[in-house]
Amino acid sequence: MAADPTVFIVDDDQGVREAVSLLMESVGLPTETYPSAQAYLDAFDAARPGCLVLDVRMRGISGLDLQQRLAAEPLHPPIVIVTGHGDVPMAVRAVQAGAVDFIEKPFNDQVLLDAVHRALQRDAEVRGQALRRADILERLRRLTPREREILDLIVAGRRNKVIAANLGISQSTVEAHRAKVMEKLEARSLSDLMRMVLLAARE
Amino acid sequence: MLLLPVTAGMASALRTCLCVLTVLVLGVADAALAAMASPGEAPAAVPGETHRDVSGEGVVIRIGVLSHRGDESTRRTWNATADYLGTALPGHRFLIEPLDFADIDAAVAERRVDFVLANPGIYVNLEVHHRVSRIATLRNRVGERETNVFGGVIFTRAGLTEVQRLEDLRGRRLAAVDPTSLGGFEMAWGELAAHGIDPWTDLTLSFAGIHDAVVHAVERGEVDAGTVRTDILERMAEAGAVDLTALRVLNPQQDPDFPFLRSTPLYPEWPFGKLRHTDDDLAQQVAIALLQMPRDHPAALAGGYAGWTVPLDYQPVHRLLERLHLPPFDRVTRFTLRDALRRYWPTLLLAASALLVMAVLTLRVLHLNRRLKRAKARLEQRHELILDSVAEGIYGVDLAGRTTFVNAAMERLTGWRAAELIGRNQHELLHHTRADGSPHPGSECPVYATFRDSQPRYVDDDVFWCKDGRSLPVEYSSTPIRDEQGATVGSVVVFRDMTERKQAAEKLRRHQEELAHVARLSTLGEMASGIAHELNQPLTAISANARACVHLVEGGRATLAYCSDVMERIAAQAERAGEVIRHIRHFVRKEPPQIRPAQVAAMFETVTALLRPEAERASVVIETRIGEGAEWVLAQEIQIEQVILNLARNGIEAMAETAPPEAGADRPRRLALSAGLCGDGVAISVADTGPGLDPAVAETLFQPFVTTRSEGLGLGLSISGGICEAHGTRLQVETSPGQGSRFWFVLPASVAPAASPPP
Repeated sequence: MAADPTVFIVDDDQGVREAVSLLMESVGLPTETYPSAQAYLDAFDAARPGCLVLDVRMRGISGLDLQQRLAAEPLHPPIVIVTGHGDVPMAVRAVQAGAVDFIEKPFNDQVLLDAVHRALQRDAEVRGQALRRADILERLRRLTPREREILDLIVAGRRNKVIAANLGISQSTVEAHRAKVMEKLEARSLSDLMRMVLLAARE
Repeated sequence: MLLLPVTAGMASALRTCLCVLTVLVLGVADAALAAMASPGEAPAAVPGETHRDVSGEGVVIRIGVLSHRGDESTRRTWNATADYLGTALPGHRFLIEPLDFADIDAAVAERRVDFVLANPGIYVNLEVHHRVSRIATLRNRVGERETNVFGGVIFTRAGLTEVQRLEDLRGRRLAAVDPTSLGGFEMAWGELAAHGIDPWTDLTLSFAGIHDAVVHAVERGEVDAGTVRTDILERMAEAGAVDLTALRVLNPQQDPDFPFLRSTPLYPEWPFGKLRHTDDDLAQQVAIALLQMPRDHPAALAGGYAGWTVPLDYQPVHRLLERLHLPPFDRVTRFTLRDALRRYWPTLLLAASALLVMAVLTLRVLHLNRRLKRAKARLEQRHELILDSVAEGIYGVDLAGRTTFVNAAMERLTGWRAAELIGRNQHELLHHTRADGSPHPGSECPVYATFRDSQPRYVDDDVFWCKDGRSLPVEYSSTPIRDEQGATVGSVVVFRDMTERKQAAEKLRRHQEELAHVARLSTLGEMASGIAHELNQPLTAISANARACVHLVEGGRATLAYCSDVMERIAAQAERAGEVIRHIRHFVRKEPPQIRPAQVAAMFETVTALLRPEAERASVVIETRIGEGAEWVLAQEIQIEQVILNLARNGIEAMAETAPPEAGADRPRRLALSAGLCGDGVAISVADTGPGLDPAVAETLFQPFVTTRSEGLGLGLSISGGICEAHGTRLQVETSPGQGSRFWFVLPASVAPAASPPP
C-alpha cells in the first residue's frame, strides 16, 4: 500500500490533463493522468489513497458514468468533478452520487486545489475509519457467542439485572462476561463500546 | 326619258316636255289607233266609194284645201281650179273642201277628201302620217312675178330703229300666224334658231291666226315685229292694204331669182297631194291636167297662181321640221322605242334580264363587300384589342429591320409612341447597347437573326432602351413571320418587363441570405455549449499551466527550462482557443454574395473545428478526404460551409442515437467529409454510419420545419437545399437503413486564385 495519496486526473483533453497535472505537482501533490475513464478503470486499485479529478464530458464513458461505476466499489478515492458546461441537474446528480466538489472550467487554481485538498483529507478520513472498523470487526470476531449475545443486549441498553434475568444466568456472571467483552474490544468506556459497535454495524 | 333634255338648253327641254306630255297624255290612244290602222285596209273608216256614188253628175272628188285666209276666200280662189279639173276629167266633179289647220289632219285620216292642197309643213306631216304623196307643186304668182318656192319674211316697223338685226329682237314681241304655219312662223323660227334665238323663250310670241292680221298688228305697233310667208306683203301692197315703206325687213336675203322680200331660206311651194286611197289612174289624170294648165288659164288667174310644175323635193321642209322637233319629228323617239320594243323584245328582255341579274349580283357583291369590310374592321378591331390588352409588349419587324406595328403595352413600357417606332430601325432605337453598356451591333441582334435563319428565339436576359434613356430589363421571344408561301417576311417580338421579377428575385435572394445567416446563428446557438466547452478546454489548460508555474516560481523550485516549457504550453492552448474563435467568427460573418474560388480543405476545417465537441461527446470520429483536383470549388464559401456543417451535425446526431460502440455496436461512429471530382464538378459529400433514414422522412427531408430531432427548428436541410439551388446544384441523399446516409451535391471545380486571399 502506497503511503502517499495520489491525485488521479482523468480528462480526454491532453492539454487540460497535463496542465492540471502540472498544477498539482507545483503544490507537491503526486499525480497520475488517464486520457479516458476506461483507462482509469483498467488501472483502478481501491487500496491506493488519493482523489480523482474527473472531467464530465469525455468520449466513451463519461465522467458521471465513471462516478456511478466507482460508487459500486467499497472504497474509492473521493471525486472532484470538473466540467466545461455544468448545469444544476448535473451538479445535483454528481453530488448525490458522492462527489466532493463540482467545479466549472475554467477554474481558479485555488478552488481546484482546495477541493483536491478536501478530497484528500476526506479520503484520509475514510481510509482511517475503514481501518478502525476493520480492527473492531477483527476484535468482535474474538468474542464467544455468549459474549456476543451479552454485547448486543448491552448495546440495546439493557441493565445487567435484566440481561441476567433474560439469559437465566446470575448477575455476577453477566458482569464477568461484560468485563471480558470490554477487555477483548479494548473499550475504555461504555460509550467507547457503543461507538465501536455502531461503526462496525455501518455498511 | 323625261330627264334627258335637262342636259340640253332649258327652252328646248321645256318644249320637248310639253310636246311629249301632250302626245303621251292626249294622243296615246289615237296615235296608237292611227299607227295600227293605217297599214291595214281600214275596215272601220268610211270608205271613199260613198263619195263617188253620190250623184249622177259624175264621181265627186273632194279636194281638201288649207284655208289660211278664210273659207270663202279659199273657195273663191280654188273653185275655178276645181272646175278646170272637172272639165279636164269628164265624169268627175271636183269639190273644194276648205280645211283649217286644226281640221286638215282629221279630214285626211277620215278620208273625207281625195286630194289635199296644203302648205309644205302640213303636207310633210300628212306624207309621214297618212302616206299622202305629192303629184304637183304650185307655181305662185304675185302680179307678174311667179315662183314655185317661198320662204318667210320677218319685218318690223320702219320707224323702230332699235331693231336692226334678228338678235335685236330678244325680249321683244313677235307676232306670227300660227304655231303650225310653215311660212307664217316655222321658217322664221328656223332662222331665229340659226341665229341662236329661241322664239319661245327669248321673245314674247303672239299668234294672229292669219297673215293679214300679223301685218296689221306690226303696222299698228301692237307688236315689235311680225313674220309672214313671202309674197304676203307684196300681195297686200298691190291690194293697197299696206304701205311697204312703213315696214322694214329683218335679215333680208338677196336673191335675183326670187322676186319677193324674204328673211329665210326658200322652201318648195304648196304641193298638190293625193291620198293613199285615191285611185292612181285618177291621180295621174289630175296631175296631167294640172301640169297642162296654162299659166294664164282663168283658173290660175282666179287662184292667183301661175300653173303647176312637177312636184319638187320637200326634204328642206323635212329638215326644217326635224331641226325644230316639230311634227312629225316630235314623235320619232317614241316611235323608235315602241318599234324597238316590238321588234327586239326577246333581245331586250334578255338584256333586261341580264341587267337585272347583273344588278342583283352587283347588289349582292356590294352587300358581301360591305359585310367583308365590316368583318375585316371587326377582326382588325379585335386584333388590336387583343394586342393592346396583353401586358407583354409586342412589335413586328420587317426584313429591313424596321418596326411594322407595336401594341399599347410596348408604348407604355418603353415610352416610345407607335408613330415614333413604326418604320424606324428597332435595333437602333431599342437595342443599341447591352446591359453592361457595351455597344450591341445589329449583326448580333437576336431579332434580326430570327428572320435570317427563320428560327424562333428566346432571350431571357437582355435590356431594351426606353425613350427617356432608362434601360428596361426584359425577356423576349422573337418568332419569324411567314407569308402564304412560307417565306419569312419579318419577325414578331413579344417581351416582358423583368424589372419587378428581377427585384423580386433579388429580394428573395437577400431574404434567403438573411435566413441562412439567421440559421447559422441559430445553429451556433444550438452548438453553444459544445463551443463553450471547446473554448473552456484551452482556457482551463492555460489557467492551470500559468498557476502551476506561479506556484513553482513562488516555491523557488522553478527552472528556466521548466517555465519556458510551461509557457510554450500556454501559448499553444491560447492559439488553440483563438483558432476556435476565428472559425466561429468566420462562420457567422455576412459574406458578400459573391461566388469565388473556395478551398474545400478550409471549409472542412471550419466545420470540423466547430463540430469537435459534439463529435467527441457522441464518440464520433470525423474523417476528411479531398481528392485530387477537388481542392477548389466555385462557391459562396460561408454558405457551403453552412451546408456541410448542417449535414455533419445531422450525421453526428443520427449516429448518437445508435448504441455506443462500447455497448457492443459492431460499427464505428464515423462521419466522412469528402470531396472528389465528379464530371466537370466537385462532389462534396457528408456520409455517416447512422441508422439511415426512414423512406417517409426522406421524401419530406428538404421541406422546412420537418425534423426528427427534439430540438431545432428543422430548417437546416431546407436552408441547405435552398443554398444548393442558389448555387445551381441539387442536394441529394442516398440512404440505406442500418448502414447510414450520404448527402452530396456538386459544385463547379476551380483553381486557387492567382493572388492568395487574405487570411
